[in-house]
Formats: sequence, C-alpha cells, structure tokens
Amino acid sequence: MAGSARVADGQALTPDGSAPAPGGSRPVAKRGPWRTGLLLASPAIAVFALLFIAPLFMLVYNSFRTQAGAPTLHNYTRFLGDSFYRDVLWHTLWIGALTTLGCLVVGYPFAVYLRGRSPRARNYLSLVLLSPLLISMVTRAYGWLVLLGPKGPIADGFQAMGLEAPKMLYNDTAVVIGMVHVMLAYMVLPLMGSLDRIDPALTPAAKGLGASGWTCFWRITVPLSLPGMLAGSLIVFSLTVSSFVTPAILGGPTVKLMPYFVYTEATSNLNWPYAAAIGFVLIVVTTILTAVYARLLRGRGGKEVFA
Amino acid sequence: MTAGTDTVGTESAPTEADPAARAGSTRGRLVLKGIHKSLGGKEVVRGIDLTMEPGEFLTLLGPSGCGKSTTLNMVAGHLLPDSGAVEVDGRDITRLPANRRSMGMVFQSYALFPHMTVAENIAFGLRMRKVGAARRSRRAAEFLELVGLDGMGERYPRQLSGGQRQRTALARALIVEPDLLLLDEPFSNLDAQLRVRLREEVGALQRRVGTTTILVTHDQDEALAVSDRIAVMAEGAIHQLDVPETVYLRPATDFVAQFVGEVNVLDGTAAGAAADGHRCRIGGTHLVTATPVGTAPGDGESVRLYVRPEAVRVRALPEAVSGKGGPATTSAPAAAEPGLPGTVEATRFLGTRVRCVVATAAGRVEATLPFGAEVPGLGEEVICAWQAQHASLTARP
Ligand SMILES: Nc1ncnc2c1ncn2[C@@H]1O[C@H](COP(=O)(O)OP(=O)(O)O)[C@@H](O)[C@H]1O
Ligand SMILES: [Mg+2]
Repeated sequence: MAGSARVADGQALTPDGSAPAPGGSRPVAKRGPWRTGLLLASPAIAVFALLFIAPLFMLVYNSFRTQAGAPTLHNYTRFLGDSFYRDVLWHTLWIGALTTLGCLVVGYPFAVYLRGRSPRARNYLSLVLLSPLLISMVTRAYGWLVLLGPKGPIADGFQAMGLEAPKMLYNDTAVVIGMVHVMLAYMVLPLMGSLDRIDPALTPAAKGLGASGWTCFWRITVPLSLPGMLAGSLIVFSLTVSSFVTPAILGGPTVKLMPYFVYTEATSNLNWPYAAAIGFVLIVVTTILTAVYARLLRGRGGKEVFA
Repeated sequence: MTAGTDTVGTESAPTEADPAARAGSTRGRLVLKGIHKSLGGKEVVRGIDLTMEPGEFLTLLGPSGCGKSTTLNMVAGHLLPDSGAVEVDGRDITRLPANRRSMGMVFQSYALFPHMTVAENIAFGLRMRKVGAARRSRRAAEFLELVGLDGMGERYPRQLSGGQRQRTALARALIVEPDLLLLDEPFSNLDAQLRVRLREEVGALQRRVGTTTILVTHDQDEALAVSDRIAVMAEGAIHQLDVPETVYLRPATDFVAQFVGEVNVLDGTAAGAAADGHRCRIGGTHLVTATPVGTAPGDGESVRLYVRPEAVRVRALPEAVSGKGGPATTSAPAAAEPGLPGTVEATRFLGTRVRCVVATAAGRVEATLPFGAEVPGLGEEVICAWQAQHASLTARP
C-alpha cells in the first residue's frame, strides 16, 4: 500500500504528538509522605511481626530440634522417609486441589451471573454467598453431617426413587462438599472484582466483529478474569490444606489430613518438634505449588492482564 | 472490491486490498422503519424513521439520554427493537444477531481488548472470519498505516494515547469492510484540540473509504463539521433531518433552534408568499421574510421565526427616516428592503466577531457582525434584516 492511501495530506493521520503512557515513571518519593506511611503501617507491622513472623521462626527452629532440644534433621527424615506421611501430604494437596476446582466450577458462573444483576440484587446474593462464614464452623459441618448421613434427606431421596444411596459421609466427597461450601465466597469475591473491572463494552465490541457468545466468553471474559481466578484459587487452596475442623468432622476416621497430624503430634503425643516439622513441610509445599500455579496463570494472561 | 462482503476472506492483488480503494461504494443503504424501544419501563425511542444512502455520513445529534445510543445499538444488533424494522441494502436484519451483521462500531470507551496487541485488536474481526494468519497480519499492517499508526502494532492499548486508541478502534471497525460504520461519541474522551483534529481526520477517512457512517454525538459543532446530514433527536424522536446548513439556518422546532446554537425567536403572523420565501408581519407592521418549514402557513396565521445571529445584518436607518447623519449609511435603498427597526442596546467584542443587541418591537434581536464590519454606536437607530433562506418560518406551537 502506497503512502497515497493515507487520508488527506499525509500529515493529517500521523500519530498525534502526545507521548504514550509512561510505563516506568513514578512520582519521586519524598521522605515526608514515606515516613507518614511507615507510621500509619506500624501497628499492622507490629502485629504481623509479633503474631506471624515470630511464631514462624519458632516453628522452624523447633522443627530442627529433638524433644530434648538438641539439633537434628530427624523430624524431616522421619516425615519424608515414611510413605504413610507422604500419602497424607498428597491426600491433603489432592483435597485442596479438588476444593479449588469445585469453587471455580461453582463460583465462576455465579460471579458471571452476579455481574449482570442490579446493585440491590448483588447485595442480597452476596449475603447468601457470605452466610456460611457467619455460622460457626462446627455447626456448619454438623449440618452437612445430617444432610449427607445415611438417614439424611439426600439418602431418603435416593430411597424414594428405589435406589441405594451411595456412601456420602466420611470420605473425600464429604470433605470437598463441606469445604466448597465454606470457601466459595473466597473464590467469588475476587472473581467479581476482576469481572467488574472489565469494560462492559468489550463483549458487544467482540460480538460486532463476528464473535459468538462462547468466543466472547473464552477470548475476552476468561482471560481478563484470570487475576481474580488466581487470587481466589490461592486463597481457597491455602485455607483448605490448612483447615482442621471441617475435614475432621466430615472426613471421619478415613480422611486424615496434615493439620490433623500436627494437632495429634502436638497434643496427644506431645512431640512438638515433629508437629512443627509437619506444619513447616505443609507451608513450604503450599508456597511452591501456589507459586507455580501463579506463574502458569500469569503466563496465560500475559502482563497486560495482570498490570 | 466495491461491493463484496466476502473479499475480506479471499486473496487479492495488493492494489485491490488497498483499503482506500473503496470510495464510491454502492452498499450500506440503511432504512429504519418506525423503530420503538422501551428500556426499564420507559419509552426511550419513539418511532424513528430514517433512510440513508450508501456512503452517506449521518449524525444523530441530541442531548444526553435522548436515545441516540439505544438507536445505534439497534442498528448494530445489540438491542432488539420492540417494533419497527432495520433494513440494510433491502434486507431485513431486525432480528439478526450482532455477530452475523456486518457493522463496524467504535465505542465511547473504544472498548479495545486490553490483553491483545494493537495489531491483534485490529485483526480480531478477520480472525473471527477465519482469515489466515499471514493475510491477517498483512491487512492489519495496511490498516495501521491507514490510520497513521505504522509500527505500533506490537504495543498494547494501555501504552497508547487517547488519540491512538481511537484510531485503533477505528481501524478495528473498518478492517472487516462493514456495511455501516457506527461511531458512538468517539471523540468525547479526547481533549478539545485533539477532538477537532480527529473529527476532521475521521471525516476525511470516511469520504475516502466510502463506508456509510452514523455518528452519535451531543456536540453540535462536531455534527455540523463532519456530517452530510444531521438528525436532531430529543426524547427518542427525530425533530429534524436535513443537511447541516438547513438544520443550522432553518431549524424546524424550538428544540432544534435552541440546541444547535444561539437563535433569535420572533413571533408574528404570516403575510403571503414572496419571490424568495414567505412574508411575515412582526409587531403588527414590520415585514420580514423567511422560508417556511413544511407547508406554508395561510395568511394571518400565527407563526414563529428562527434567525441565527450570524444571519442578521444590521444597517443604520437611512437619514431620511432616522433624521440623523449615520456614517454607516449604505448606498442601497434600505427602506425598500424588509427589516425590523430598533435601537442598538449593547455591543460586545468577542475577539473574532462583534455581538450587537438591538431592541425592536418584537423584543431583543441579537446579531453577530462579521470581522471588519462597521459597528453601530450605542443608541443608534438601525434596521435588522436577513435573507429569506437564512430564517425559518414555522407554525407557532
Ligand atoms: N438498560 C437500561 N435500562 C433502563 N434504562 C436505560 C437503559 N439504557 C439506557 N436507558 C435510558 O434510556 C435513555 C436513553 O439512553 P441512551 O440511548 O444511552 O441515550 P444517549 O445515548 O442519547 O445519551 C436514558 O434515559 C437512559 O437512562
Ligand atoms: Mg450515549
């Protein structure tokens, strides 16, 4: 195409003179505001240091000691050398992954649905979403115990249809159902935030260019909501692998996860260093997995989505 | 390459692929028939009828909330009319979904896909039409050049200025060679200078590619500057649909007169047809002329005149009448011409022009004197006159 294709006198359609949005420049930080910021953040920093950093250090320190207090690697070699404990770790991560997936599958359509509602409807539906968090964990878990139990309404339903009710309690299914119920809000809220930031004109724009509803969803909505998916998944996964009450009640004797062994080692066996080692293994593995997951999602979306 | 919608998908010689080679297109004839639409229980569009010729540039002009975007979205297929029909080139597309129409739309926010590069944004429509990657990137490069964004294809929308985003949105809409180009307030997010420049560019580009275009705006300067015709809308209805000169100089309703600029409103009675227009008596005695909008009123009927300040000529009254020696006396026999006499009440210097306020029997008349014209003194007796084609005559509401 020759230059003649340009509009008017060639001058007319040159890019306008204004500079592109500066990428790296930021206002020069002055000392005053910075100090004020530090001052404002100091209570939070103090609480964080006292209640999180210090115990974490103590945990790591203890995990490398014998019960008598001598330095050792035994707690770790014992955990990693024992296939029983390794299976517990895999089982825990598996439950975490299933719960995250469950929250995504249930939560994504719900978040998309909420996006199109009026602010009023959104408030009510958000309340429904948050309601599980308002009830005590134990009460909620016993609620599921009743629902999923052999004499519960779901089992009755199966019987009414002349079918034999499957075993729904004290297995992975029960734990994942109970966990998804609690964790759904942690997935949906970040997703809503992400979806709200998408310009509502993008879908009509894509449609007008020939995209079907599905194509709009897969090429526009999903990629642009990856940050919400990432944030929600990280929260749900981390909270699930470290949760104690719900798996303990709904998993019964068959589903024993990492937090359960931390608890029994510390309280029944009074082996605090071993409990610390189990806890630290869980922290390290969770951190690595979430970092890999974050990398994968960021790679899918590119830096423009996560900017 | 003039009429084929399918040309996008086929290989063609480089000269044929030149996006500028489509001027004088014969497709994109839009007809709207009795379109109605209610939103949220309120009738937002109340019976729009409209016919656009291929290649025409039409502007929907009206205040915010009058239903312009709603109308445009029904043309684009994003909204379904409650009643009425949308036809393009004789084909009824009222119920055709947006993704099966051929409309290029530019949104107020530009609606660029933030996770795609400029080139990917521009080529999106081709991708949806299953055009191969090689041809897609070649076409994208051509359209980048067409809108003056050469070499920026790899950037992301976030890295562009407002003007560059707007050009990207325009290229993305035009690359699919749409039946119609729909622009919804595309300049409103730009600063004043850039707005003027880009609207000139878009006007020039439209004339070059020849795509039938609807522009939605609430800015009357914008509408006057770029349109072949303007449809002035208020409360979901078109008040006047005509070429910019006519809409400006001869508004059909109070609303059009007030919305499209400053105006003198004069009430009087019709007094018979004249050679160049229609005569009208103001204040009982003074005869002026104007052009009737629609059917001419019968003699003695109450009428209303609209005259723009720019159309009003102010002359000193001839000495014989005023009894004073005015320096501005012209050689023309002023008394023979129709006009409205009055007294200069105020003059204001506005930089390039002078505004002159004359108190007449029919109230104040404002006149804008052209640059370099002689400015009458305060209290001077003058006569205000205008050509019949520069004033509209309507039945008084
Ligand atoms: N989805 C909707 N629900 C209810 N009312 C709407 C909706 N969209 C637009 N409206 C109303 O319809 C009227 C016309 O809107 P619109 O066509 O966007 O106006 P314009 O583009 O001329 O500013 C406005 O009063 C607006 O409040
Ligand atoms: Mg609008």
